[in-house]
Amino acid sequence: MGFLHHTFSDVYARQNNWLTRIDVRVKLLYVISLLVMNLLAKNILISILFLSASFILLFSVKIPLKATLRSMLIPLSFAILILFVKGLHEGEKEWMSFAVAGHTVSLKEEGLRSGLHTCAKALGGISLVIVFSCTTTISRVCTGLKWFRVPNTIIELLAFVYRYIFLLLDEVSTMWIAQKSRLGHSSWKKAIKSLGTLGGMLTIRAFERSERTYEAMRARGYEGGGILTINLSPWKKREYVFVIGMVLILSLFIYAGNVQIW
Amino acid sequence: MSRSVALFTGVFLLVFFAFGKAAYAMHITEGILPPRWVFTWFAVVIPFVGIGIYHVKRKKKAVPGYLPLVGMLGAAVFVFSCFPIPVISLNGMATSHPCGTGMSAVLLGPFVSVVVAAIALLIQALFLAHGGLTTLGGNIFSMGVLGSFSGYFAFKIAQRCKLSLFWCGFLAGTISDLFTYLGTSIELGLLVINKGGSFLKAVAEIFGMFMMTSQGVLCIVEGVIVGFILLFIYRRKPSILLDLGVIKDAAKPVQM
Repeated sequence: MGFLHHTFSDVYARQNNWLTRIDVRVKLLYVISLLVMNLLAKNILISILFLSASFILLFSVKIPLKATLRSMLIPLSFAILILFVKGLHEGEKEWMSFAVAGHTVSLKEEGLRSGLHTCAKALGGISLVIVFSCTTTISRVCTGLKWFRVPNTIIELLAFVYRYIFLLLDEVSTMWIAQKSRLGHSSWKKAIKSLGTLGGMLTIRAFERSERTYEAMRARGYEGGGILTINLSPWKKREYVFVIGMVLILSLFIYAGNVQIW
Repeated sequence: MSRSVALFTGVFLLVFFAFGKAAYAMHITEGILPPRWVFTWFAVVIPFVGIGIYHVKRKKKAVPGYLPLVGMLGAAVFVFSCFPIPVISLNGMATSHPCGTGMSAVLLGPFVSVVVAAIALLIQALFLAHGGLTTLGGNIFSMGVLGSFSGYFAFKIAQRCKLSLFWCGFLAGTISDLFTYLGTSIELGLLVINKGGSFLKAVAEIFGMFMMTSQGVLCIVEGVIVGFILLFIYRRKPSILLDLGVIKDAAKPVQM
């Protein structure tokens, strides 16, 4: 049943702390510009700085370290993969070679350096996204996206999909238990057939639920127009201070990011 | 087997054994793509997403219930992509997760499926730390654009060839997965193109490794499951497939 219990990081966003209280538009501006900085930085220090700062921020709002590390496992595995791909393919100067199954394998110095930089960028970038998602709920994300002029259709669908994921997960969970208790997953063949039935039932229920939802929406006056009722509050002094701070921080990072260290 | 392939296999298996999260290997993680590829992939996918949005808007005007339908089916496809599919491969008996784009392309059409995939990827990048925001364009290209269009055309061609509904679904699921992994391999292979590496060799190695680990078996198993799903819906509620335009006439018996 573990697959049904992915921890969506916005469960922490419902807490009341100094990061959740920051306006979503400010947070989005910070995250996007810092992610761009992370990509453009020519040295590894910027990414390491983002990674450490993110851990400190997450620690300051009491996000469990275990949850943060769990979220980083997949990016980390991908980063290690990239490190080896680059180590094998990039550059000329051999750093290390060894024999595997009778073949000599050589890792190149230039490729490994570049791979290590990419690893740092992956971890620095993902840590910034984790800080954002652990401190921002989906409704606030929608508000922020609207301010950034993301098409309403995308925001409406995002809200719809997110709202119903958990509901459908609960339904699938119930059916999954029912199938298991009737030995529906006792062999590989049966498991595949049962998953087909589960997927089919899920689609039928989703279709029927969409009809009921539409009826409910119509009863409340929906005629095919926009469904977003998001109100954007005007910026206050605090938000302007954050943005000015961002401009100063970014200039510092642009300077630091252009320093060649290796 | 070349020397680099041998090492590559070792690394791949080590990573998969160590973390057991091969399922999300098709999503390129944050920070991996350099700026020029980030912008390139966003530029490539924006027209597809734009046309998808236009399709949803146009259909929403004609059929007001279309928006909740796409939202609900999008959520269903997201949940489907969380299914733990048991597969046996080089990294042993593992559970892997399907892409789901083949199924969404068959049910909603390729352009709307791109939008659904984009939303699913955004949710995964934001709240599950799978994929990333700067790599969203690349991931939409491999999973959304390549996955949806290949799955959709595979389904339509199979229908034209008068294959049974199960085999049409099977081909849609399998081919959509294969193209998704091919897309990811191309995107990763392009990273070595200007650094003295061989693009084709890198793509072949990465794609080969995807296929040799649980993802290769997953492509076939996902195809079987999509086939079963379509059969199940056809037996229980054929009107759904008719309404969505998957089959032409519910009264006419579909070869199973």
